[in-house]
Amino acid sequence: MIRFQNVSKTYYNTKALDNLSFQIDQGNLVLLVGPTGSGKTTIFRLIIRDLEPSEGEIKIGEIDVHQLHRSKIRHLRRKVGVVFQDLKLLFDRTVIENVMLPLELSGVSEREAKERAQEVLDDVGISHKSDQFPLQLSGGERQRVAIARALVFNPEVILADEPTGNLDIKTSMQIFELLEQINKRGTTIFMATHNDHIIEKTGYRVLYVEGGVLKNDKKSTKKMTPEVKNDEQKPDKEKHEEAKKDDKSEKINLESLKNKK
Amino acid sequence: MHIKTVARYIRRSPYQALAAIMIMSLTFLTISVFAVVTILSVRIIDYFESRPQISVFFEPNTPREQIESARQNIEATGKTSAVNFISQEEALAIYREFNKDEPLLVELVSADILPPSLDVKARIVTDLPELAAVAQTSEGVDRVIFQKDIVDTLSQWTNAFRKVGILIVAVLMVVSIFVILTIIGIKITIRRGEIEIMKLIGASDWFIRTPFILEGIFYSVLGAIIGWAVSYGALMIFGQSTLQSFFNGVPVFPIEPIYMLAVLGLQILLAVVLGAFASFLAVFRYLK
Repeated sequence: MIRFQNVSKTYYNTKALDNLSFQIDQGNLVLLVGPTGSGKTTIFRLIIRDLEPSEGEIKIGEIDVHQLHRSKIRHLRRKVGVVFQDLKLLFDRTVIENVMLPLELSGVSEREAKERAQEVLDDVGISHKSDQFPLQLSGGERQRVAIARALVFNPEVILADEPTGNLDIKTSMQIFELLEQINKRGTTIFMATHNDHIIEKTGYRVLYVEGGVLKNDKKSTKKMTPEVKNDEQKPDKEKHEEAKKDDKSEKINLESLKNKK
Repeated sequence: MHIKTVARYIRRSPYQALAAIMIMSLTFLTISVFAVVTILSVRIIDYFESRPQISVFFEPNTPREQIESARQNIEATGKTSAVNFISQEEALAIYREFNKDEPLLVELVSADILPPSLDVKARIVTDLPELAAVAQTSEGVDRVIFQKDIVDTLSQWTNAFRKVGILIVAVLMVVSIFVILTIIGIKITIRRGEIEIMKLIGASDWFIRTPFILEGIFYSVLGAIIGWAVSYGALMIFGQSTLQSFFNGVPVFPIEPIYMLAVLGLQILLAVVLGAFASFLAVFRYLK
């Protein structure tokens, strides 16, 4: 689904990514981990062609992202939903207007857009706030709005750039659970995170980047460090299943968290 | 969708919107006034051109044959469109009508002291001197008066006024374009974050540009309507009574509503072009 082949990105004289290669299969949930400035956001920006790579090739399905004609970039961005690190919500629009926006951009009628937005807001559990403005929401609620906006096109891929960055552990796990549910419906999720709870407890495949270099590509375990050697090249799905078995006992009971709320 | 966005943009920065609308109103008020004055000047010139352009006065009691002979001489030039004989009695009737409010003047004058005359209209105003010369050489002619000077002076004034008017309107239009360009430019700059978000979630360039272009057109059209309404209102309330007495009998009023509606239609058309042009400049300058 997403393929990076020897991708490098240099900003002036600084190398942000260095010869990065990886592949994410369709329907997987993969975590992207690394310290601040390691190149995580650059990877996402390259995927939606907000940046051009200095070298290498990036593919989303059969689309060679950087060979796309400029006029087709918007089509790519409708295929890939993005939950931005800073959310990028429009603060002078209500929740539902924010979620409707991508549909309206593509020419969907206001009535249809509203119906679809309401549906997605229901899915992410925030339909009761649809007429409020983002400033009236909590951090977790804003994240849900950002996820709803990313979901509204029913994209094949969702890129989530540190969606739990400023949230407490309880809310972070709720947001992650939401992304897991979306993933279970077949959407590929590629999520950058610093959240140790998510990394250690969920058992998904983790790409660890540092200094723009892919240092590690394996399923998550406790105390994930760059020194851990690459896991053998198992298919993503197998890694996912194994990780789930390993961490079953330690998983937070998300349902109970939901109920407490 | 775009209309709602434009309404939101205007609501968010009402003072900028007010500034844009005011400068556009001023521009179109000037254009409206200029249009009204043009209509009036055309009517004044038409009035003078439709009057007898040469009056050939004969000595009182000149025999009718001599007058007819003079008439034939003048018509023989082939440059006249009409030649009318005014008898002494008809001259008295005209005099009485003109001085009907001055009974003393009417009583003092009889037909005997008024000269018979020929009113001559030329096909082309520039032929007036030649016709006047022919009339002057005819027997029994006392004096020849022609209005070429009046029409020429009026034409010169009107042309000068048009030139000054066009200059003022042109300057105001350029100022208006820069005002709209600047205001739309500021709005684009303020909304750079929003524009970036829209691009990131798949907006086409035109989806982003259209509300800004519509906003420029809105300011311009609203300014045109306000400018026109102010000028027409002022004309209706103060203009007709004051100006009619100023023109002293030249029937330039009323200006029929259809003319004013035509002025409004043309101004709206101009406003759309002006607003669209200014916002296009802003959009291409600030939204590369």
